[in-house]
Amino acid sequence: MEQYSILGRIGEGAHGIVFKAKHIETGETVALKKVALRRLEDGIPNQALREIKALQEIEDNQHVVKLKDVFPHGTGFVLVFDFMLSDLSEVIRNSQRPLSPAQVKGYMMMLLKGVAFLHHNNIMHRDLKPANLLISSSGHLKIADFGLARLFSEQGERLYSHQVATRWYRAPELLYGARKYDEGVDLWAVGCIFGELLNSSPLFPGENDIEQLCCVLRVLGTPTQDSWPEIVELPDYNKITFKENPAIPLEEIVPDTSPQAVDLLYKFLVYPSKQRCSARQALLHPYFFSSPLPAHHSELPIPQRGGRPPRQRLQAPPTDFSVDLPLQNSVVDPELLQGYASCL
Amino acid sequence: MNRGEWILISRRAQVSKSTRPRLCPIERVNQICRCSFFLFDSFSFAEAAAMFHNSSQRKYWIFKSEDEVAHMRRKANQKFRNKIQESGKSAVSDSMFLERHEEDVLFRHYERRLLDFCNAFKPAMPKSVVGTALMYFRRFYLNNSVMEHHPRTIMLTCAYLSCKVDEFNVSSTQFGGNLLHETPAGQERVLEQILEYELLLIQQLNFHLVVHNPYRPMEGLLIDLKTRYPTLENPESLRKSADDFLTQAAMTDAGLLFPPSQIALAAILNSALRASLSMESYLTECLGLKEDKDSISKMYDSMRRMKTLLKKYELPKADEVNIYKPRLERIHAQFASSSNKRKRGYEDDSHVAKEPRLVEEEWTDEDLM
Repeated sequence: MEQYSILGRIGEGAHGIVFKAKHIETGETVALKKVALRRLEDGIPNQALREIKALQEIEDNQHVVKLKDVFPHGTGFVLVFDFMLSDLSEVIRNSQRPLSPAQVKGYMMMLLKGVAFLHHNNIMHRDLKPANLLISSSGHLKIADFGLARLFSEQGERLYSHQVATRWYRAPELLYGARKYDEGVDLWAVGCIFGELLNSSPLFPGENDIEQLCCVLRVLGTPTQDSWPEIVELPDYNKITFKENPAIPLEEIVPDTSPQAVDLLYKFLVYPSKQRCSARQALLHPYFFSSPLPAHHSELPIPQRGGRPPRQRLQAPPTDFSVDLPLQNSVVDPELLQGYASCL
Repeated sequence: MNRGEWILISRRAQVSKSTRPRLCPIERVNQICRCSFFLFDSFSFAEAAAMFHNSSQRKYWIFKSEDEVAHMRRKANQKFRNKIQESGKSAVSDSMFLERHEEDVLFRHYERRLLDFCNAFKPAMPKSVVGTALMYFRRFYLNNSVMEHHPRTIMLTCAYLSCKVDEFNVSSTQFGGNLLHETPAGQERVLEQILEYELLLIQQLNFHLVVHNPYRPMEGLLIDLKTRYPTLENPESLRKSADDFLTQAAMTDAGLLFPPSQIALAAILNSALRASLSMESYLTECLGLKEDKDSISKMYDSMRRMKTLLKKYELPKADEVNIYKPRLERIHAQFASSSNKRKRGYEDDSHVAKEPRLVEEEWTDEDLM
């Protein structure tokens, strides 16, 4: 701990406080996540263990936060991460106008790359939401907060807790109390985040768990055994019934959006988890290859922590030549030069 | 664990056990690559970037040789002696300390107790949880002497942490309930100690929590034999003896020297050998090692080394244990205060403000079972 000097407080998580600090030796700015262990009946919390576990076993990826170090401190220990300026929820909240289609595309691409990497490494995050998608000073998006991450096996024998994921991004099977689920829960969350980027407001902002389900059902329509065969096996399926209503076309939910974006959104927001488009596949969707192309990370806004208005990037003034104008306009009239030019 | 390895195999093996799939050539090549990948990690196969290859186990906890491991333990023993000598509290005679082989006896004694505790655990502990606990215990005493931290507490802490890490969710009360001969008050006291040592343990494990056990690779190999190796009539018949091999291997340094998939393969090959079944062609044809004499000989060499480890293992003798244990207790009683400070891995203990209690004397290991 002596290696770091604390610069300030960034925030507070479920299991500890996050500080901004400077590594004295290298001058590097880092985020220190302190996990305190006092008065915890079961010792080191599972969430902290999961986070360490998940992050220790994967290689570096551009779109996943890097656990730089772990060390014991006081009555607990400290996780050291790269310091990140902001997160996607602040980007969405603070952007004065809606994000441009290219910017949305840029964020989605980085998010999907990160998710594809995690799933390839058999890690499901289980709590994807804008606040867990950190934004670096260079505009890169990195997935963070692995407190709920689990290694999954394809055997699917074990039961998982359904009380995962922040409500707005929680997949419908979780809302129905599923204990066996898969990485599809992350893909649902990706869909919700996508919608939120497009609309600048959350897609399914339920006030409580029941209302959450209502929100989803109102848009996707009441599920039937045809549209979602597995639903009958879910624990809470019979506990609650909703008035039947048809699905609302997503075009109406995210108005003014390109058909390709809507098409991709449809691929995430489907009831059966197995039918949701994998992150890897999604990256090949035409959406990412059509105009406007995904924004480069340097073209993305970087709001400051603490909700101050976003710093506008200094942009070079637009240059005044255009490839569409006739070339003659830019060339000096030869006649003007004639008097001065003499041929040898 | 070894999910990655397992999945590679299971994806194609989901075909029923009786019908053998016909494979197009490309798929075969892939299979062979995958198989060789999981046997010899020097073989790089980009797509199989899954689990073990990136693991902290492969990077930090697989050692070159038996000698290297022995050297580390000697160093840990010496480190403790130096620490006591340097503290210079009282003149300590060298004869008071435990010698390396004496430490070993006690280590094996407590390792057995750990295994017994895990096997008797209710609800039944999955194999991987037991394997992970044993590996934690082994890794911990690679750099620490039993004289410094009492194995009685460490072994339970290993079991407790392993349950949590492997998502075998038992509450601390449930865990305490498995300390059968303890009164409820005694259970609470032991639990308190476990929690006190938990942080020290994960620190000594370098925060590397995921352990890859050989159980999954073995299942994978059995499925592979069933799907791709018709020469062998009843692969299931190999299971019993292979299981025994893995159980024994868990009590040796095998896990510190070889990747789990190699241990699993050695278990299978050894089992076949005992049943006088030849599996040579499985290595050459199915695992594609025909042209790779180097890997084959390396494989056999590893197998020989593993078998030597297993053969060398002997149960700790009761009379020896009875001699060394009182000495261990004496060391802990005498130097308890100095080791107390390091407990929990805390940098400063001031805010913990726990009275130094002689808890370790209050319960004996006999109380645990």
